[in-house]
Amino acid sequence: MKPRERFLTALKHKEPDRVPQLIRWGKEIGERLSQIFGVSGEDLGPRIGNDAIVCQVGINALMEMSVGDLSEGETFTSEWGVVYQRQSGFNNPIKHPIEKREDLDTFKWPDPNNPRRLDEIKRVMKKYHNDYVVIVDLSSSLYEASMAHLRGMENFILDSYDDPEWVGRVLDGLADYYSTLGTHAVKEGVDIIRIGDDIGTQTGLLIPPELWRQLVKPRLRRMIRSFKKANPKIIILYHSCGDFSSVFDDLIELGVGFISTMQPTGAQADYAAIKKKYGDRLAFKGGLDTQQLLPHGSPAQIREEVKKLLRAYAPGGGYVFMPGHMLYQDVPTENIWAMMEALRDYGKYPLKI
Amino acid sequence: MADLTSLASMVEKGKHLETARLTKELLDQGMDPNQILNEGLQKGLLTLGERFKRNECFIPEVLLAARAMHAGMDLLRPLLVGTDAKPLATIVLGTVKDDLHDIGKNMVGMMLEGGGFRVLDVGVNVSPEQFMESVQKEGAAILAMSALLSTTMPYLKTTIEALESKGIRDRVKVLVGGAPVTEEYAKEIGADGYAPDAARAVDEARELLGISA
Repeated sequence: MKPRERFLTALKHKEPDRVPQLIRWGKEIGERLSQIFGVSGEDLGPRIGNDAIVCQVGINALMEMSVGDLSEGETFTSEWGVVYQRQSGFNNPIKHPIEKREDLDTFKWPDPNNPRRLDEIKRVMKKYHNDYVVIVDLSSSLYEASMAHLRGMENFILDSYDDPEWVGRVLDGLADYYSTLGTHAVKEGVDIIRIGDDIGTQTGLLIPPELWRQLVKPRLRRMIRSFKKANPKIIILYHSCGDFSSVFDDLIELGVGFISTMQPTGAQADYAAIKKKYGDRLAFKGGLDTQQLLPHGSPAQIREEVKKLLRAYAPGGGYVFMPGHMLYQDVPTENIWAMMEALRDYGKYPLKI
Repeated sequence: MADLTSLASMVEKGKHLETARLTKELLDQGMDPNQILNEGLQKGLLTLGERFKRNECFIPEVLLAARAMHAGMDLLRPLLVGTDAKPLATIVLGTVKDDLHDIGKNMVGMMLEGGGFRVLDVGVNVSPEQFMESVQKEGAAILAMSALLSTTMPYLKTTIEALESKGIRDRVKVLVGGAPVTEEYAKEIGADGYAPDAARAVDEARELLGISA
């Protein structure tokens, strides 16, 4: 079975030959895996068994691997005017372009129609789409993009109460940008559009769900409508870190059929309950703990947890294996091994666990 | 007419303009600024903190309430100088080395202030040496450290070890927290206390210093 068929079969809530996977990592883990497998860069994913390729074109792309040449402590400014600093292998936003609310009036939104933005998508489609699922990642999309990148976290949270109308303008600017860019991507024939914001914490939503429904949901609806207008069959993957289960029903209503990364915290710690409640309407990706288990657990514990995860999420398809986040440098190689071996041993359909 | 109950309630509801107005009214009525601080402003934030612990409110509500408390405190501060009002103790607070995350740490600071502590926030990406220097300089009773990343969490341990090797570990209580940090991990690295959220950091700080609530 081709990786592409495997992945798409699972998303149709059917059982392919094995549980599809999409494991992702930071720079240091990438270097470690490259040495082991003798393959580097984007070819490493397929080499270790990933069934999909992610093409990151959203604002978060700048936080992760794509600016891999910076040294620790170094800074750069993005086209959005955000200043990032490299720290712990990650580019952290440290200065925001909308320092004062009136800065929005003169803020220059990047041009979503710049054809160069599609270069990477076209290249990836040509190279991989025959065999692999291609995911175009437009995250972070709305609340996180505003909060973490454009305005600063505490400021944007307080703005949400002090001047919701102004907050609506920021979110509209992002929704416009991403609706246009995402529509171009859909027209390139990609399989999945990934949108999302990190709105989950260890125990539940960062902001009250009612506030999310008031400010974010209408803009999300508009974005998803424009993608589905370009291709009614486009699969919408929504991502948040943390526990965001309080808005799963809202996401389903908006036409989201696939969510990640199922960090096992808060209500999401109970895999079986989540699968039971939403498994007929949502496919899931992720779930293996990266906060405690992968960096500090033993290979035996990891093996057990992979088994437990698969037992809960994998029956009937609707599941793609991945840790609850990207892998970072604190995960020992033997633990990555234990995870991959467990997936190989227990991830074959029909499941025998 | 302004009273302490409605002042505390305005803080709890996060109404900073109302809080400032009521604080001013109470001062005009001749009320003791210490009483306004303790029984009005701080009480409002701590009451919200109780709800936060029970998962009955969200992070933004804590930020709003802390802003309201500060709106009142700004008016009181000049009047408190020279009185015998003393903070419970000094706490040095910061995010560990290589970690730039600060909202959780800031919330802990706000809550501790609401709890009557003097908080010296030394910022983010703080090295063990910087933490030690601040603790010694400020005569801090507690060192409160935060780590949001599993990759930076080991610096909690490194800092505790640095305190030990400098021979000052027994002079300060160490309180740790942050998303990937657990009570078990806190014990393992030899911290004195752990708090899963900002409100419980106040309880834990009080307990570490033997202060009854």
